[in-house]
Amino acid sequence: MAVQSDVIDDAGPYDRAKALSAFKLGDLTFYWITRLSAISVLLILGGIIVSLIVGAFPAMKEYGFSFLWTQRWAPSADPPVLGALGPMYGTLVTSFIAMLIAIPVGLGIAIFLTELCPQWLRRPIGMAVELLAGIPSIIYGMWGFFVLGPFLANTFQPFMIRIFDGVPVLGAIFAGPPSYLSLFNAALILAIMVLPFITSISVDVFKTVPPVLKEAAYGVGCTTWEVVRSVVIPYTRVGIIGGVMLALGRALGETMAVTFIIGNSFRISSSIFAPGTTISAAIASEFAESDGLHQSGLILLGLLLFVLTFFVLAGARLMLLRLEKKAGK
Amino acid sequence: MTDLSVSVSANGHLASQQPLPEAPAKVTVRNLNFYYGEHHALKNINLTLGTNRVTAFIGPSGCGKSTLLRIFNRMYDLYPGQRVTGQLMLDQTNILDPKLDLNLLRARVGMVFQKPTPFPMTIYENIAFGIRLYEKISKSEMDDRVEKALRGGALWNEVKDKLNASGLSLSGGQQQRLCIARTVAVRPEVILFDEPCSALDPISTAKVEELIQELSENYTIAIVTHNMQQAARVSDKTAFMYLGELIEFDDTSKIFTSPTDRRTQDYITGRFG
Repeated sequence: MAVQSDVIDDAGPYDRAKALSAFKLGDLTFYWITRLSAISVLLILGGIIVSLIVGAFPAMKEYGFSFLWTQRWAPSADPPVLGALGPMYGTLVTSFIAMLIAIPVGLGIAIFLTELCPQWLRRPIGMAVELLAGIPSIIYGMWGFFVLGPFLANTFQPFMIRIFDGVPVLGAIFAGPPSYLSLFNAALILAIMVLPFITSISVDVFKTVPPVLKEAAYGVGCTTWEVVRSVVIPYTRVGIIGGVMLALGRALGETMAVTFIIGNSFRISSSIFAPGTTISAAIASEFAESDGLHQSGLILLGLLLFVLTFFVLAGARLMLLRLEKKAGK
Repeated sequence: MTDLSVSVSANGHLASQQPLPEAPAKVTVRNLNFYYGEHHALKNINLTLGTNRVTAFIGPSGCGKSTLLRIFNRMYDLYPGQRVTGQLMLDQTNILDPKLDLNLLRARVGMVFQKPTPFPMTIYENIAFGIRLYEKISKSEMDDRVEKALRGGALWNEVKDKLNASGLSLSGGQQQRLCIARTVAVRPEVILFDEPCSALDPISTAKVEELIQELSENYTIAIVTHNMQQAARVSDKTAFMYLGELIEFDDTSKIFTSPTDRRTQDYITGRFG
């Protein structure tokens, strides 16, 4: 005790108010730095929206709402005729098919990794999934163009076309001829690209399920499947949907790989084996050589993608709220 | 020591002061050893759980009580690196048989955990879920079974108007009784309680203890507890464990009034633990 009081005496009278005011300045600086960082997000977002609208304005004035339901895309006609129906259709269809494939596979991998996988296999598979996320999209594009496209066109596509030939509705969806470049190929590549998002987020949220809750479910005699279906997935529903939304956002906007393998055709075909295009692919392949109204039309396409993504994600969030209400939380 | 014995003899079975007749064995443990990897957690355990009797397991933390309980329904199987040797029989069934159908075993041996573990679904579904695993029954039969189970869990009057509310919306004590009701609903033969009241307030604890007493008319019960008064109040037999060994196993009245082993006496009088 005596030693301690000596030290304080040596330091002279201790001015607590002064020390605190120094902290206050630091606190204030900290507050403003964080606040400015947060505001900058709003500024950047606002700036992007404004410049998109300014750039798209000539096209908006020229085509109005008919831009949304015109299928024809003829930038070199005089005057140019531009319609967004084809790219919008392609964007939605490829993303939908990609999620149809990626959600069950991604969840399956996550369930296997957390509930069933022997310890020694866990790391290799987990790492492989994360590496999948690290592959640049141009590589996926090249692989899809040179390997996957020909493979699908020679095996899977003819097979499906033959099976569903003459079946109503399905026959039109899986109609020939097989093609190296198609909506389906693009969707498959997208599915592979978004798989790691769904898997790694699902693995993380599956790990948050309290072991005792799982034990309780095993304790009433559940099999692993029943535990996963009735306890693990309902418990982690919000997290899983978050992962799926992230993946969906990526699928809607993915450009490079899709541009390589979708075929860049603005015509809408009922068959998913026919070439098509997406909004981002259309912009990427035409923007460099465009000017005037054509360029403005492409910017308007970009704005549409922005709005489309916003609505899809908002819809997903709405669905989440509904689910929560239904679960009685 | 005197303090404790007075307070326990005012309650439960000890009040009668006459030992219950020996019950036929429901679960028989012979030379049981358990290992967490290299760690030898249970050493040569021998005991029997009497049919429709309550057996309490007491002892300081880490003595292996919960471990023993988790062997009775093979819960340890979920985790790699844990293994067991010896013999463990449920009537004529060898619980340790690697080919045993674990789902059926766990239907016969139910478990209630330390923390309430309602499933993320409605109160009704929490009960119906377990029943549906084993039986295909009509909606009206299911309604009956759910009501019966909730009555069995002494919860029916509190939840009958909100069966479609989430099980998570109940209070801690209600959640624990929901878990007991859920366990009872699948009609087990043995119910394991792993410190069922340690997360509950005194009133909920009293309700759960009362429930355990009632359940012992139809079920064989094993309960792990840190609360010695609780062991004295609810159990017929008490096992004292220490450092992975079973030190003493006898009628509850005998353990709490005249234990034979020095360590048992030290523990129940609060000298260590």
